[in-house]
Amino acid sequence: MRRRDLFGLSAGAIAGRAFAPPLVEARPFTDSAERRIDIPDEVRRVFPAGPPASVTLYMVAPEKMLGWTRAPSPEARPFLAARYADLPELGRLTGRGNTVNLENVVRLTPDLVLDVGDTSATYVSLADRVQEQTHIPFALIGGRLVETPTTLRTVGALLGVPKRVESLAHYAEALVADVQKETAKIPPARRPSVYVARGPHGLETAVVGSIGSEIVDLVGARNVAGKDTAPRTIVDVSPEQILAWQPDVILTVDRRFHATMRNDPVWRDVKAVQAGQIHFVPDLPFSWLDNPPAPNRLIGLLWLGKLLYPASFPQDIRAEARRFYALFYQQEPSDAQLDGLLADPPA
Amino acid sequence: MTRSSTVFSPIRRREPSSAFGYRAIVIGAALALLLIVVVAVALGPYQLSARDLFAFLIAKVTGAVSPLPAPAETVILQIRLPRVLAATAVGAALAASGAAYQSLFRNPLVSPDILGVSAGAAFGAVVGIFLSLPVLAIEAASFVGGLMAVMIVYGIAVAIRGRDAVLVLVLAGVVIGALFGAGVGLLKYLADPYNQLPAITFWLLGSLAATNPRDLTSLLPAVAIGLVPLALLRWRIDVMTLGDEEATALGLDTRVLRIVVIAAATLMTSAAVAASGIIGWVGLVVPHLARLTVGPAFTRLLPVSVLFGAGYLLAVDTVARTLGAVELPLGVLTAALGTPVFLWLLGFGRRTAWS
Amino acid sequence: MVVSAPRLAIEDLSYGYPGHVVGHGISFTVDAGEVLCVLGRNGEGKSTLFKTILGLLRPRAGTLRVDGEPIAGWNPRRRALTFGYVPQNGGGTFPFTVAELVLMGRTAHRGPFAAPSAADREAADEAIATLGIGHLAAREWLRVSGGERQLVLVARALAQEPRILVLDEPTASLDFGNQVRVLDAVRSLAETRALSVLLSTHHPEQAFACADRVAVLAGGELLRIGAPAEVVTAETLRACYSVDVAVLPVAEGRYRVCVPRLYLD
Repeated sequence: MRRRDLFGLSAGAIAGRAFAPPLVEARPFTDSAERRIDIPDEVRRVFPAGPPASVTLYMVAPEKMLGWTRAPSPEARPFLAARYADLPELGRLTGRGNTVNLENVVRLTPDLVLDVGDTSATYVSLADRVQEQTHIPFALIGGRLVETPTTLRTVGALLGVPKRVESLAHYAEALVADVQKETAKIPPARRPSVYVARGPHGLETAVVGSIGSEIVDLVGARNVAGKDTAPRTIVDVSPEQILAWQPDVILTVDRRFHATMRNDPVWRDVKAVQAGQIHFVPDLPFSWLDNPPAPNRLIGLLWLGKLLYPASFPQDIRAEARRFYALFYQQEPSDAQLDGLLADPPA
Repeated sequence: MTRSSTVFSPIRRREPSSAFGYRAIVIGAALALLLIVVVAVALGPYQLSARDLFAFLIAKVTGAVSPLPAPAETVILQIRLPRVLAATAVGAALAASGAAYQSLFRNPLVSPDILGVSAGAAFGAVVGIFLSLPVLAIEAASFVGGLMAVMIVYGIAVAIRGRDAVLVLVLAGVVIGALFGAGVGLLKYLADPYNQLPAITFWLLGSLAATNPRDLTSLLPAVAIGLVPLALLRWRIDVMTLGDEEATALGLDTRVLRIVVIAAATLMTSAAVAASGIIGWVGLVVPHLARLTVGPAFTRLLPVSVLFGAGYLLAVDTVARTLGAVELPLGVLTAALGTPVFLWLLGFGRRTAWS
Repeated sequence: MVVSAPRLAIEDLSYGYPGHVVGHGISFTVDAGEVLCVLGRNGEGKSTLFKTILGLLRPRAGTLRVDGEPIAGWNPRRRALTFGYVPQNGGGTFPFTVAELVLMGRTAHRGPFAAPSAADREAADEAIATLGIGHLAAREWLRVSGGERQLVLVARALAQEPRILVLDEPTASLDFGNQVRVLDAVRSLAETRALSVLLSTHHPEQAFACADRVAVLAGGELLRIGAPAEVVTAETLRACYSVDVAVLPVAEGRYRVCVPRLYLD
């Protein structure tokens, strides 16, 4: 097993006469948190620990998925391959806030538990605990947007599908490189300020450097919500604050808010509203901005780049979306679906 | 001067049947607890038949090869059994602390939280979650937080002389509890709504879902160590119910006794809260039920409270994890069950004298 | 000739609370087998004096001695083996039985972890029998009426096997019959077991029933101390209670009654 402090081992032994299950053909693997785990040579059944993991898993190797952390919504399902969209809902496996009973994890006899995202100390210790208790290897893979190619390749190697993943990783690399190259050419003065409006009233936002702001940051735009003193990634703001900021562009993620904000007197004086620069972030099957924070955001990077710097990104977003969806979601959307996807929500 | 006259009358002690009744209750409670343990280990999403369990038990005892597949063994040894033991320990700890405090503070409405231990433990845990510490550190912080809160309360009580010691303790407990509660509120506000807040919220609702065998290595010794002084001092704890003056006049050093009882109860309660989050009502209702059954003498109340508390929390936790597909927070369930039971006790309890 | 030290000696005692001295310069002794009755008006500090003697309050000044030895450094256990306390409203509010309550009196006789021994139970039973409350032994303490409660508390103090018994207004809530019984028990305990007894009362007459000596507290000082016939006089009573009282001998001088002059007019 992985390196373990002796105390934990002897404690486990005393507590329950724990013993390691017989591992056939195991190979060592180092995950993003520097944890050395032993995984079976052939990984056939994978349990995703959270939403980013389930989406990543679907993209990389859907035939190995045991289910979704949260079942895809009815609106999302048409964009996914039907037989995988129907997989059961498993619940979150994240320690004290978890909604899945560990017994259910064991019962499904996965070869591996996969978690993509935060690799801080809390999550490392949670991974260790679950692994220790269930005797199922738990791989923790980093999920920052900018390291998406690495994430994809690592997960591909982990699951034994390196070739398939290569096309995905290649796409991601090319896209990120292109966006970075083009946006580097734009002088700071011409970079617009962006406000990400979340929540039913649009008064929650993701701060600079947070997961919800990764697209904005990577595209070189200026998120008006600066770094928070506390380690918060989402903060509440007041309408006054937004008026003080006067963002050039507003991105919305909540359909109801998008529909009502234009007529809301509170927002009328905001520059972006007056200039008509309010854009709803497409979110089917998964948000192009942040939720979940997985490779689904890649297309959002291009979309936002095109929105803010149309001259730099001449690509046709429909064609690109079609290509992206075929590649990553294994299902090419129809024209009607694309229309629905890219249109503003009705008022 | 009048002549002395002594009247001799036959002394009727407690009825002999009552001693038998007590023994019957203890044995009955112990058997019930055993039954609940067996049922709890047998129930769960992973299907295990009684025959499987029995075969497994025999194999473990005789050292033979286990008849169960590896995942089944994992479920029993790594997931279910630790959780069952943890529920038993936490229930016992909370009930024993509640019973001890109810005697020490001469008040049936006292719970183990009265000196702020839960608020302090909550604060410690929330700080740990807020700083994204590893789980073990979060549990340690919770434990330390509980101890610190009570030490502060006790320090205040020592500093303020000239008033009823018990009253000052209770009031200081209320104040410090409120202070740490405010701290928790502040951290909830500052916490990251994505990553930290759900964890904080779930912790505050109480749950044994994430019980790990390693948790037991700190929980079980702490509860055992805490129970020992309470058991040893059971006779003196009864005398403490007379109040400081009388107890002192009968020969007790009430100050030392109070410190020891508070330390033992705090140790147990802190360890319990560190393992399970905030679980209320057990420390308040279970000692009541025990008192209704066997009377106020701590010599009887302690073992019965421990058995009732362990069985009660284990039963509730088993319900919490088997009722639906999703785990129900334990603290919510104990409150939902505890409140009507408590109201019933207030209304119809026979021997809840203190009227 | 060797004069043995008195069982209890109060020397120049000042007692009270921090910042508030209730009594000062109090000196008296109580011998083995002697009953000392303390009189004083409400608020005079009789209870405070008793609590100071028992060690529940710290003396503001002066010395307390038992058999010549100063007791300032004594721990509660040692005090409990010497002093038996019968408080005014004692017994707590828990539904113990009378037998359990009396048994608590034996606490000082055993270690901190020990259960009551057979000797403890015997002593408790004997105390109950002596006070004639055997019929109450199995009853819940809280169901015992106020008057009989006092007898239970005396039994508890007796079970302690103290050498000095301190009773704070033991007859305060007793009916006439019980008053007689308690005072009689106190008297006989002093005689048969050579106990020193210190008790306070609001009925000066009772001093004639049971006391060997009477001490009168007034104005924070010891006004008089001596045999009842000498001390319980009209002038002392007037100084103590501000009431005109006639102290009249009855039954050929074997007893005296205190009658307020008001009733005689």
